Amino acid sequence: MNKARSIKQNARPDGLPNFRNLGTLLRILLISNGLALLQAILLASAWTDVAQRMMQIATLLTPVLLTSLLLLWVAQPWLNRLSYRRGVLVVTALVVVLTLSIYYFGGEIYRPLDGSDSYFNMVRYGLLSVIECGILLLYFRLRSKVLSRALNDARLQVLRARIRPHFLFNTINAVLGIVRAQPKQAETALEDMADLFRMAMSDAQDLVPLGREIQLSKQYVALEQLRMGERLRVDWQIQDVPDDVLIPPLLLQPLLENAVYHGIEPLSQGGSIHIVLRRSGDELHLKVENPCPVRTDAPHRGNRVALRNIRERLDLLFDVEARYQVESGKDFYRVEIIFPYVSSVKERPS
Amino acid sequence: MNDIELALRVFIVDDEPPARNRLRDLLNDCSEQLALDVVGEAGNGQEALDKLTEIPADVVLLDIRMPQMDGIELAQHLNKLPKPPVVIFTTAYDAYAIKAFDLHAIDYLLKPIRLGRLFEALNRARVAVPVQTEVLRDLLPEPRKNLSIHERGKIHLIPIEQVLYLRAELKYITVRTAEREYLLEESLTELEKEFAARFVRIHRNSLIAKDAIAGFEKGGDEGESGWMVKLKGLDEPLAISRRQQHIVKEFS
Repeated sequence: MNKARSIKQNARPDGLPNFRNLGTLLRILLISNGLALLQAILLASAWTDVAQRMMQIATLLTPVLLTSLLLLWVAQPWLNRLSYRRGVLVVTALVVVLTLSIYYFGGEIYRPLDGSDSYFNMVRYGLLSVIECGILLLYFRLRSKVLSRALNDARLQVLRARIRPHFLFNTINAVLGIVRAQPKQAETALEDMADLFRMAMSDAQDLVPLGREIQLSKQYVALEQLRMGERLRVDWQIQDVPDDVLIPPLLLQPLLENAVYHGIEPLSQGGSIHIVLRRSGDELHLKVENPCPVRTDAPHRGNRVALRNIRERLDLLFDVEARYQVESGKDFYRVEIIFPYVSSVKERPS
Repeated sequence: MNDIELALRVFIVDDEPPARNRLRDLLNDCSEQLALDVVGEAGNGQEALDKLTEIPADVVLLDIRMPQMDGIELAQHLNKLPKPPVVIFTTAYDAYAIKAFDLHAIDYLLKPIRLGRLFEALNRARVAVPVQTEVLRDLLPEPRKNLSIHERGKIHLIPIEQVLYLRAELKYITVRTAEREYLLEESLTELEKEFAARFVRIHRNSLIAKDAIAGFEKGGDEGESGWMVKLKGLDEPLAISRRQQHIVKEFS
């Protein structure tokens, strides 16, 4: 269990949310304020009263919320190392302490002079902050549980695609076809195939170095070129992106496989797949474009399954920080994925 | 009997060079026990038709999944050769086709191909007859991508998207492309059924490509009341029969 966790340190379904992710922050703000609005409506005596009640709540909620998020942002790497149970305790304790101290030191803003029971207020606010923490953490836990299924599906999907009978049997047949005349080339092909299968069958890791994914994709292309020869051309454009940048595994290779199977293979003249990888600020842009036969009907279903899976994995890893675009033209197909630039192990998202 | 006379003439069609290599190697192995002669190979349908017109073969080993035209369609066109060859299909994986082949007892080889299976299939092919075009047509879930025209001993493939209209005339059907006309020996009703997505009937004797419709005009034999259709790339308009006049509304 411990070992598995150290490999799958990120995006584990039983982990705390990543407080450095824009999506997480937005969700916390939205839900907290939503709860506050609900409270305001419950307390108010008339619709006109709601706004005033909301203001009252916000005077305490907003500073607590912003300070908590700031502190959680700072503490993120440390929180990541805690077990989930401890993490929940620490986060809740932090929020309660913050709430109480802001209430206590906030002076007259929070303690009207009418002499209401300040001990009662302390307990009440403490309790409210515990409940709110509970609701938020429970929400994130459920969300990551739902999304983490996508990761397992992804592995299955990739595995199934790898042993897509069409690819497997055709490649074996091709290797048999060259084994007498070019034994060396046949050896390389079998080695490449072993690597592809190993990757598909290995435990899913959250992020892998870009260089490895590129190498795997090149091995895959080499195998397909064995069968298709000159018909399959690949044009790599990698601009200012070092090999040790971290990206989700099996992101590029399935895109290439789609491009080959649905795009290049049915074309008698073949064509070239363009892969563009570039950095723009804190983001990494990955674009895969391929020609395809002119079609009149809807795109192939296999396409959508692979693409949906990639989208789910990106959601799980990066939430709103990853974007995704598919352009399906009359005779071309283009997928563009934009996701955070993660340059080292320390900066991994959780 | 002389073995040389009995040599089985084999032709290979596959778009992948290593797959053709493999078959050549295996045929070479077979030839130690079976008199055979590899008379040629092709990487696509048109090449196969051209070469087989020149040098006939008894058996064609034919890959199913190929770009542009798949093997089952090519087998239909091969049946128009003066002496159609026996086809043995090869495939890595086509669940649909394999089921259909089993149903119709059509011979096929699974890739990677085994020497033993190839040997058996070749032996059976000596006595087999070509699969009927009608059966092949049933096997193919999609319409053909080409029409094959037999003309002066050659078989031309006309990509279906180049056809502007099809018109029945006595025994034949006139196939009109932007460049010229061809004569085809098939039934208009069958063609209408097969290519329903692409063609629409405008007259008892003619189908036009929906994509090629350029516009409609009044006139023709029916006088003021009749409609004619203009097709892209053709000067003379075609008459629309009274019964089919609703298409004017649908397509204009």
